[in-house]
Amino acid sequence: MRVAEQGIKQRKFLGLTGNAWTLLMLGVGAILTTADFILAFFYTPVVYGAGVGGSKMIGGVVVSQQLLFSQKIFYFHVPVAIGSFLVFTFAAAYAVLFLVRKDSNYDIRSRTGMEVTLLLVMLTLITGDIWTRFEWGVWWAFGEPRLTTYAIMALLVVAYFVLRAAVSDDERRATYGAVFCIIAWIDAPISFVITRMIPTSIHPVVLRAGGGLTGSQLLAFLLGLFGMMFTSWAIYQLRLREEFAKVRIDALKEALEG
Amino acid sequence: MAKISSSRQFKAILRKDIVMEMRTGEMLTSMGLYAVLVLIVYGVALSQAGSSFDVQRIAAGLLWLAILFTSMLGLNRSLVHEKDQGCLDALLLSPVDRPIIFFAKATGNLIFLSIVEVLILPLFYFLFLSGKPMGGPFWLIALPLIVGSVGIAGVGTLLATMSVNTTGKDFILAVLFIPVMFPLLFSVVAATSAILISDPIAGITFADAFWKSLALGAGYDVIMVLAAFGLYEFIIGA
Repeated sequence: MRVAEQGIKQRKFLGLTGNAWTLLMLGVGAILTTADFILAFFYTPVVYGAGVGGSKMIGGVVVSQQLLFSQKIFYFHVPVAIGSFLVFTFAAAYAVLFLVRKDSNYDIRSRTGMEVTLLLVMLTLITGDIWTRFEWGVWWAFGEPRLTTYAIMALLVVAYFVLRAAVSDDERRATYGAVFCIIAWIDAPISFVITRMIPTSIHPVVLRAGGGLTGSQLLAFLLGLFGMMFTSWAIYQLRLREEFAKVRIDALKEALEG
Repeated sequence: MAKISSSRQFKAILRKDIVMEMRTGEMLTSMGLYAVLVLIVYGVALSQAGSSFDVQRIAAGLLWLAILFTSMLGLNRSLVHEKDQGCLDALLLSPVDRPIIFFAKATGNLIFLSIVEVLILPLFYFLFLSGKPMGGPFWLIALPLIVGSVGIAGVGTLLATMSVNTTGKDFILAVLFIPVMFPLLFSVVAATSAILISDPIAGITFADAFWKSLALGAGYDVIMVLAAFGLYEFIIGA
């Protein structure tokens, strides 16, 4: 996995090369996520002191323990969701840079960012779907703003790749991809805001741990958040390396033939 | 050579589209017929729903669905001609500012879409809504229609210009268009529903539902049409 020459300069950041940082981030991310997992299940206080099986009376409503237990998925769902939008922002930033500077490196970075975004959005949808299933007993709910917004974001990211695949000219593909990435990035928060603000048929609201997070819950949440961020960054770097290696291989091939 | 003023450039391009449409009448007839066919399919889809089924509840969604798919057809056609006849290249060679091309094409699409909507709305009313009590004054439906059409025309022109240069034009436009349009659709369907549904969800007043949704839709329009306008010159030069 040695990298050199054009495309990526062999720099040292704080005494470690790019390769070493990536592996370090991957390791740290894995450790943090695992710690989050363990904490979520063994140490964080269960909402309303639920156990497994049976039910509890909360505010005059009988809520099954299974429901309260399913709140734990929050420790994975929200970090992935936040992470997906964060990476999306990076991808859109690189898209803007590409349009302004016309350097194909930025296009490669933007596309790789979108790939990682796709991965995180899929994770968000899956964890969110599981949560919905246990919370409300249905696999999908169109009135629920979270789910709908993430579904739209997933569609936008998939549309990005469909668009790129359909354009035959390289430079045009990069330009169209960048433009659509920016449009999608503007569209995603708008859809989030709009689905939240427009009243639709209300699902029976399930009581949850109201207010802020307690200490150990916050710790677990932050562990999950940083774990996901580090892991995503590491995945992004590894994939980027692969892409730049491809670019260099193509250049070498052309040099050999020409 | 003196620079031609922006408004003259705009009018020239817009006139070209309108004159071409008046000569062939192709886009309007195809869009109009398509919308009528969609309404007939709705009739088939609802035929087994029973007489006690309250169509009013989904009427807003049905109307906007028809408008959405009709507009995709129209957007695609308006730009396919440009590409096939080499008109787009000619436009790029002429001393026309790129943003003007966007505005002129978007305005042309908006005009055609509005004509189709004006034709479809009475038909929709007679087929599905006649004799039913409404939640609000019916003429107010013009507002969500305007907000929705401006958004569809503006962002649709950008996306259609991209999709016409790909393989699989219609399909790509649909794939790009529907997710991007989703927030706008959500808000205008909510606004239209406020008018069409006579007994809304408890606790939500008409004014609240209608004006709030309309304001959100208008917000979408402003942001996205500005974004489309800003990004158009990158697309059209590629």
